[in-house]
Amino acid sequence: MKYQTVIGLEIHAELLTHSKVFCSCSAEFGGEENIRVCPRCSGMPGSLPLFNRGAAELAVKAGLALNCKINNFSAFDRKNYFYPDLPKAYQITQFNHPICSDGYVDIGTKKIRINRIHIEEDAGKLIHDEKRKISLADYNRCGIPLIEIVTEPDIRSAEEAKAFTAEVALALKYAGVCDAKMEQGSLRCDVNISIMPESSKVFGTRTEIKNLNSLRSIGRAIEYEFSRQKKLLESGERVIQQTLHWNDATGVTTALRSKEEAHDYRYFPEPDIPPMFITDEEINTISKAMPEMPSARKARYLSLGLSDADASLLIADKALSDFFDLAVKSYQNPKSVASMIIVEFLRHINDSGFSVEEIALPPADLAQLCKMADEGTVSRSAAKDILKQMLKTLEDPMEIAKKENMLMSNDTSAVEKTADEILAANPKAVEEYRGGSAKVFGFLMGQMCRTLGKSANPAIIKKILEEKLNS
Amino acid sequence: MNLKAILKTATITELSAGLKNKNFSSVELTTAYLERAKALNDKTNAFITIDEEFALKSAEKADELINKGKQKPLTGIPLSVKDNICTENIKTTCASKMLEDFTPFYDATAITRLKKQGAVIIGKTNMDEFAMGSSSGTSYFGGVKNPYDLTRVSGGSSGGSAAAVSASMCVAALGSDTGGSVRQPAAFCGITGLKPTYGAVSRYGLIAFASSFDQIGTMAKTAEDCGILLNAIAVKDEFDATCHTAPFKNCLKDMEKGVEKLKIGLPKEFFGDDISGDVKSAVFNAAKTFEKMGAEIVEVSLPDLKYAVAAYYLISSAEAASNLSRYDGIKYGHRSKTGKSYEDIIKNSRSEGFGDEVKRRIMLGNYALSSGYYEAYYNRAVKIRQKLKAELDDIFKACDFILTPTAPTTAYKIGSFDKNPVKMYSADICTVTANIAGLPAISTTCGYDKKGLPIGMSLMGKAFSEATLIRAASTFEKVFERREAQL
Repeated sequence: MKYQTVIGLEIHAELLTHSKVFCSCSAEFGGEENIRVCPRCSGMPGSLPLFNRGAAELAVKAGLALNCKINNFSAFDRKNYFYPDLPKAYQITQFNHPICSDGYVDIGTKKIRINRIHIEEDAGKLIHDEKRKISLADYNRCGIPLIEIVTEPDIRSAEEAKAFTAEVALALKYAGVCDAKMEQGSLRCDVNISIMPESSKVFGTRTEIKNLNSLRSIGRAIEYEFSRQKKLLESGERVIQQTLHWNDATGVTTALRSKEEAHDYRYFPEPDIPPMFITDEEINTISKAMPEMPSARKARYLSLGLSDADASLLIADKALSDFFDLAVKSYQNPKSVASMIIVEFLRHINDSGFSVEEIALPPADLAQLCKMADEGTVSRSAAKDILKQMLKTLEDPMEIAKKENMLMSNDTSAVEKTADEILAANPKAVEEYRGGSAKVFGFLMGQMCRTLGKSANPAIIKKILEEKLNS
Repeated sequence: MNLKAILKTATITELSAGLKNKNFSSVELTTAYLERAKALNDKTNAFITIDEEFALKSAEKADELINKGKQKPLTGIPLSVKDNICTENIKTTCASKMLEDFTPFYDATAITRLKKQGAVIIGKTNMDEFAMGSSSGTSYFGGVKNPYDLTRVSGGSSGGSAAAVSASMCVAALGSDTGGSVRQPAAFCGITGLKPTYGAVSRYGLIAFASSFDQIGTMAKTAEDCGILLNAIAVKDEFDATCHTAPFKNCLKDMEKGVEKLKIGLPKEFFGDDISGDVKSAVFNAAKTFEKMGAEIVEVSLPDLKYAVAAYYLISSAEAASNLSRYDGIKYGHRSKTGKSYEDIIKNSRSEGFGDEVKRRIMLGNYALSSGYYEAYYNRAVKIRQKLKAELDDIFKACDFILTPTAPTTAYKIGSFDKNPVKMYSADICTVTANIAGLPAISTTCGYDKKGLPIGMSLMGKAFSEATLIRAASTFEKVFERREAQL
């Protein structure tokens, strides 16, 4: 029998606030354990949460970026459960009244509906020391603001799940809501998955795969879980509703807990935080201040004359696209800048293994290099070498060109002298050319360039060489 | 000057004047109170911690302020604080084995405010464990005894604060009131207790029992003293999101105006069969006194009062179950020596660290919130809460405040309700509505029963009407003959 997969996603994204969501501790990532902790985020007796309104603003931005309705009234609830990484033994979240609802993301082939986006706090981290047989708790992450984006069960394949997640990650990055670094855990994904016969309309029993932190593992986990559930059904067994853990190394899912052991979270309204009201005016203000989103940016690139492929490639990496925009600001030749970035710059980046942000090259420097090549100050081939050097030393392109003697010389006397010498040294080639073989011109050009070095202007060499040969 | 003699009847106003006139220094005053507190603590068990060193240091600082002419109403005044209000570097136990050794590294906002005025905190008072109880008998450190009769309870949960003020071990104290925990022990111990409007005093640093009910209150021998303390601690505080941004500037204004033309409501539901005869007649007599002084008495009704106790216990226990979940033995507090897994450690730590009453409320609260029961219990209680609020709103259209008993009886014998907790819960009938609706209420002594035990009456008004309540209570106190506890 043919089966189809039914998937719903829950994406957790860390908000880019400076401080935590219910206290004033810094919301930075990494560093020494338990240094960004206070009575509030560590749940000390008598402490009370204080809501960081900045988190609400970012959540509204996320809602706008994902085509959601922004709710004027939202409220916090407590989700109660015991775990050592949760110092209050409850998580403050929004259960009954989320801040955003009813959105969608267009993944090209279809629209995936978003049920809701709500604000909640992150838990700490446990570090298990196998050698000493102890577990340590690090509360730095406690109280980092998160939004949880919950979809409707509209996704039907691993590809769609990956495309949706990538679109969400990109939209959140553009909106300035989340840096969406899956490898650092600032964007994580829970997958709810069930299968049913292709003709069926009734969903099967679902399982939930927790905490996937790369597009690749989302895809692999879905493929694995699909075949696992299929095998069960085909052998006449039932799928059990349970929570699963994905092991990226072994490529299998294992059960964390089944429905019978499922937590009863005993949600109830958080009495320490009054409900939140956001006026239409406030929503409008945020909406007006929204940064350019990927689709708008792509349209702008097309209007600048970029090809669809180039425009898509640029916007897919926000940092690269921002780099392009800054470069174009200082040299208004978008096509030339795009070509330099996509053909040369991107190749170096990929080879280096660093991201665009990590390479500190000023966009204006790359723009200057483009301009130098376009105006014939340096040759195109010299420009490639200069870029390589710039990425290493971050020197100014003009400095490099001067130092490496790559500035094109417009002194024709040296070219003429060399041409005379080369033609004299290669009588056979000259004869062949004059006999009608155009092919040999390339050979003579090569000889000229080698002798004259990078500073020679190929256009001038070509012109003089042609003149001499045709005279 | 014989300080020892003065202490027995002193008020904040009198002591403040004594300090100002240099009749005595704060160090002398504090020393005298400390001596009395130490001497009487064996009898009353009012204090869990008496911190002499800190008290005397604070007194020295206060004397400096007074000498520099920077005296404020509470400068140099010896106070005590209920042991569920966090005090930096002083143990704050909630009268629980769970927090037996817990020393906060931060002050509650109310404490910061007291320190700002140069008040002297002499110690931390005994209470029901985590403020759960109405007798102060659930304390891990043993119950508090009533200064009027040491075989009887002090009331609770702020029983230690009430007994300490009543026995003149300090001049005034902070308590906390979740369902009557300031007013009922004040009534039992013959003093005055004020539960402010929800949001008037910051809850930051008050160890939570039931967050939507909890409020720090003030306890003293007079309503005026309660007001002086409230003026000091009721300020806007950004550390507590439920704290009002501008509670009131001064709750002691127009004190000389008396009660003339005030409309006082007598809700008949508060005078049912469960209220003892002595209590009823004392409160009715007080109503007559108010009438004589120019107030008008009107009959009002709160028909849904009969559901108040049930609604209160459901919601407060639900919040408590969640609030007390953080005590898992991992970060601070009691940790069991047995158990190898996380689950075992928290189970054992909580089983060993909490007393029976706390466990009872945690179980009740979790039950009320659990899936399948939420609608029937928690949600229905919330609806009753809304209904009672609406009924009270109506009542306060017809009168300035209502006058009721504070408790159905006077202080009972220690251990009376040990086997029947529900009966003890029902005795909160007179006090819980103020917490359910977040309204202010003050209890002051209005009589003594045949055994000479104090009887309290309560004045409850609309939100932020503290000034009216204090003025009315104070007007009554001026014509009422108060009897000190003989200890």
